[in-house]
Amino acid sequence: MPDRIQRPTGPAPWEKKEVDEGGPRRPDATTPDTKELLKKMRRVDPNQARRYRQRTGE
Amino acid sequence: MRRTLGIETEYGITVDGVDSVDVVAESIALVRAYTEVVPPARDTEMKWDYSLEDPHLDARGFRVEELMQDFDEAKYFVQDLNRRLSFQEIKSDLVLSNGARFYNDHAHPEYSTPECKSLRDIIAQDKAGERIIEECVRRRNLQLAGRGVVKVFKNNTDFIGHSYGTHDNYLMDRRVPFETVIRGLTPFLVTRQLIAGAGKVGIETEEDANPGKFQISQRSDFFSVLVSIDTMNRRPIINTRDEPHANSEKYRRMHVIIGDANMSEVAGALKLGTTSLVLDLLEEDACPMNIELADPIAALKSLSRDPTLRTPVVLTGGRTISPIDLQREYLAAAEKRLRGHGADVDWVLATWRQVLDDLERDVWSCRDRLDWVAKWWLLTTFVEAEGVKWDDPWLQSLDLEYHNVRRDEGLFAELVREGTVQRFVTDEQIRQAIRQPPPDTRAYFRGRCVEKFAKQMTSVQWDELAFGVEPGEAVVQLLNVFDDATVQIYNAAVDNAPDVATLLRSVKHERR
Repeated sequence: MPDRIQRPTGPAPWEKKEVDEGGPRRPDATTPDTKELLKKMRRVDPNQARRYRQRTGE
Repeated sequence: MRRTLGIETEYGITVDGVDSVDVVAESIALVRAYTEVVPPARDTEMKWDYSLEDPHLDARGFRVEELMQDFDEAKYFVQDLNRRLSFQEIKSDLVLSNGARFYNDHAHPEYSTPECKSLRDIIAQDKAGERIIEECVRRRNLQLAGRGVVKVFKNNTDFIGHSYGTHDNYLMDRRVPFETVIRGLTPFLVTRQLIAGAGKVGIETEEDANPGKFQISQRSDFFSVLVSIDTMNRRPIINTRDEPHANSEKYRRMHVIIGDANMSEVAGALKLGTTSLVLDLLEEDACPMNIELADPIAALKSLSRDPTLRTPVVLTGGRTISPIDLQREYLAAAEKRLRGHGADVDWVLATWRQVLDDLERDVWSCRDRLDWVAKWWLLTTFVEAEGVKWDDPWLQSLDLEYHNVRRDEGLFAELVREGTVQRFVTDEQIRQAIRQPPPDTRAYFRGRCVEKFAKQMTSVQWDELAFGVEPGEAVVQLLNVFDDATVQIYNAAVDNAPDVATLLRSVKHERR
């Protein structure tokens, strides 16, 4: 009798055949262009840490 | 490196766009979102067997009456009575087909990796946890349909004094006296933040509160004693919780609670790898035992608060040593004793040496491997470009965003996308780890049982599985399933069994 293996009902991103973003590799050691990074950082809500309240964990 | 390893990570959760957030309810909803993804996980819901856990057992050979956290637990229990949910419903435990445990711990979604024996597997499994939670965030936000936006962070603090843990676990030989473990491991763990710290903006303890100070470690503010069984209050550098989840006559589980949550795969692998090598040294009676810190707690905090690494560590007797040289003492002992003991060991030794040399030469050169340096570099770039001060609340918001599990938002994910951080595993290895257990530990048996027989499972623990077999249960103990030959027997049995009855004919079990 074959294995009774259940499969997921909903699609999750890892099910897609997608282009691999990369694996182990050396980074670009030259001075990075920070334009995109800065653009992304500017979009972060300056007050999100003030609203971020957690219960103590372990 | 053939030591059995595991990581438990509590994630932080919030909801943007609403007036108040019930973090417990959100954590429960987030975990349950995963039952929509993988039906076998749904079939394991609330089957975790808490009766086999006893966090009051102390590795020093006694059982404590109370933990300090028992008071918090009691308070939360009263609050949670209003939810009209049972203890099991609040915990919402799931066991996944990769052998992992995923549940609500207090108010944090917690992902505990399956047991792994290679660094590649443990990092792939840790990253698989991030991907699973990222998918749960997506599904939860679809459920909310605009009534707030859930965000989840793999970090360890809310910046005002509430910390939650990332614990790394190591199976080790119980014959090593615990006093020896304390003495040998303490200086290493105090300085391990050099390679494994995740970086933080701000000091959270009241006496030194300083929102603008950049620290190496997220967690160093929260440790106040050298040795203790507690994990939520008066946290210790060496935790003595004695829950081996294995044969307690042979094994100890070294439960290290002092680590930060790593986003960097290389930093995570170094954290696990170097600690495992130091435990090797302890087991082989080759660990440096002549390093004694004058004040380990003070050293932990002062090191964390000086990312320039100029602050020396004070030893008993007044002699000082640089934190890099202190790490080199352990590295030298490991190189002498362990070099050539496998690819993982040699990778750890070479990378450890390189990172320490690079930190000494030019801290910034480690921004491609170490979280705290990558974050410090990001924030410094922002401060210089925008002209904001280090105590601007925006900096803590950016710190938090470094840990956002959504790869289209998180700042660490942006570094990955730009190719400025080194990888240790491939995306394909992470994708496989979401479903597949590591092949060479007892987690394979657990994960495959979930995949094939979840409906018949009646309870699950790290070291035990129970199946409903009329008129009662059949219990498979996994207390001694660690050596390669025994693991192979159990794993082949589950692979070859078309049903539970056949499985039970192949492995030892008890009826109850």
